[in-house]
Amino acid sequence: MPEATTLRTLSDPGRAGPASRLSRLAPVHWLALAFLAAALGFAAAAWATGNGFYLRLATEALIFAGLAMSVDLLLGYTGLLSLGQALYFGLGAYVSALVLRDVAPSFWLAMAAALLAGSVAGLIGGVIANRVKGVYFALITFGLAQVAAKTVYNTRALGASDGLIGIPQIQVGFGPVSLDTADPLSFFLLVLALTVAAYAGLAYLMDAPFGRTLAAIRANEKRVPFLGFNAWRYKLAVYVLAACVAALAGALYPMLRGFVSPELMFFETSGNAVITVIVGGVGTLVGPVVGSLLLTALRSVVGSWTEHHLIVVGVIFMLSVIFLRKGLVGALLARLNRRGESGRTGS
Amino acid sequence: MADLIDYLQFVLAPQALNGLSLGVAVVLMALGLTIIFGLLDVINMAHGEFYAMGAFLSLTLAGLGVGFWALLVLVPLLMLPIGWLAERWLIARVFHSRDRHILTLLLTFGLGMILEDLLKLIYGPNTLRPENPIEGGTEILGMFLPNYRLFLIGFGLALIAAVWLVVFRTGLGAMVRAAAFDKDMASSLGVPVRRVYAGTFAFGVALAGLAGVLLAPIYSVFPTMGRDFILMAFTVVIVGGMGSIQGAVIAGLLLTQVQALSSLYISPVWSDPLVFGIMVLVLMVRPQGLFGRLGHA
Repeated sequence: MPEATTLRTLSDPGRAGPASRLSRLAPVHWLALAFLAAALGFAAAAWATGNGFYLRLATEALIFAGLAMSVDLLLGYTGLLSLGQALYFGLGAYVSALVLRDVAPSFWLAMAAALLAGSVAGLIGGVIANRVKGVYFALITFGLAQVAAKTVYNTRALGASDGLIGIPQIQVGFGPVSLDTADPLSFFLLVLALTVAAYAGLAYLMDAPFGRTLAAIRANEKRVPFLGFNAWRYKLAVYVLAACVAALAGALYPMLRGFVSPELMFFETSGNAVITVIVGGVGTLVGPVVGSLLLTALRSVVGSWTEHHLIVVGVIFMLSVIFLRKGLVGALLARLNRRGESGRTGS
Repeated sequence: MADLIDYLQFVLAPQALNGLSLGVAVVLMALGLTIIFGLLDVINMAHGEFYAMGAFLSLTLAGLGVGFWALLVLVPLLMLPIGWLAERWLIARVFHSRDRHILTLLLTFGLGMILEDLLKLIYGPNTLRPENPIEGGTEILGMFLPNYRLFLIGFGLALIAAVWLVVFRTGLGAMVRAAAFDKDMASSLGVPVRRVYAGTFAFGVALAGLAGVLLAPIYSVFPTMGRDFILMAFTVVIVGGMGSIQGAVIAGLLLTQVQALSSLYISPVWSDPLVFGIMVLVLMVRPQGLFGRLGHA
């Protein structure tokens, strides 16, 4: 996406000239393309061997990657740690489940309803959470999600602790063609396409003036008003955006699993999303996707010989926090950059 | 009129006393959290797991034949080096980074996850029930109260007073408060700030462990026991003012009363959302809490 780089209007203190900006940006997208190729290869292999289980698992990883991306928008680009992003993910999942079960088995209607619910809830949550900064922001998002999760958990109409079951499989129509969510391969490809679209759209937006303003807020919020920007408005906007992304990702969940449960809103879900972002790479958007797939694979591998995978995940997470500040993808990009720069000075 | 007195005596008062016994335990947890935050700016997400660790340690030691009274001393002593190392190896590593608020929160979150799974690995996921060390009950004003709860209230209040004395009336406490107020100035006046940091963290962890020992006979012991409890302690710390000692005490006693008494009128399952709702409201309206922070008041 070379056009996007020219849209950078605000200079980022971390990056020097336009040339290095270009070389720094391109590898992210190359990485994303390589990832896409690998995902398609995986799909082909899984389809050839007729293995639906791993396709379903990979689909779930991509769905949770959407949640992780929304955390990355806040943490990586704006410097806001949300410990309650599962609130919007769970909201999207419940709204989608209710629409599919009780209103109409329509993919587009479910997604639209989840988007609407996500933006309204995000607006309310954002107005509340953006009253405070730093750790208080983390704690208030945590508290909001707890209130919502416990409320859902206690509400009989929403299935209380059992959640909602019996969400029908649906046909997703694209004009003349339609695909079946019950088919592991087509649903995987659909979710993959949506993930790629979300990545491309968000990466573009983060390179546009909007994203540069967020970077400025992250770097030094107090100076942003002096540049003529209203930091609060931008923080609210990105919060609503993140809520919508999380809600849309959540809306896909019941289509995959056929049920929703209050666990989707619990702190474990929010915490896992934060872990995914930190391990994958903060502020890269590819990182959350890569992290989600890696951690899902790790859990399934480690989980096959011990149920104590939390120790492994926890150790990896803490090592990432201490040693890999930009996660796996960040470390990889730094290497690619160094090679690229030394290559250029050598020629 | 007689109805009213009966209601007070047999409905409200026992519930309030139950709330009080939970309250002192919550305050012990919250004191550790709030002192750690006041001094180091660290939100210790692993605090609940340190509490669970204290409870499990007490079970193991009791199994080896250590008496209850010795446990009250021994478990906190064992928790001290654990807290010290956690500070030196983890917190101190990211302490000088720009995002240390977020990084320390993430580190302690990861630590808590590992500790919880370790407890599961060692003790299994099942619920254990230790013996009640102080049997029997006492009748006060026609109410029957378990002796252990009375002991818990008395011991807890004494402990809270002791913490207050140490922080506000000793040279050691003065060092801690000085380091919380201005670490550079304190350091140039000869306060060993790094050791004060590690020591304070260890002290908070030991308090959490002690709360675990004290509550183990009342609530059952299981690896995730810290989770529900830590949420309450966080709420207390936020409402009282992060880093404020008197805030933690007052908010702790107040909020557990709200929880205990509200469960008479609304279903107990709604008391959690109520308490978290209060937390969100306080964060919105007065994020600094009711009282000022350690070293600044």
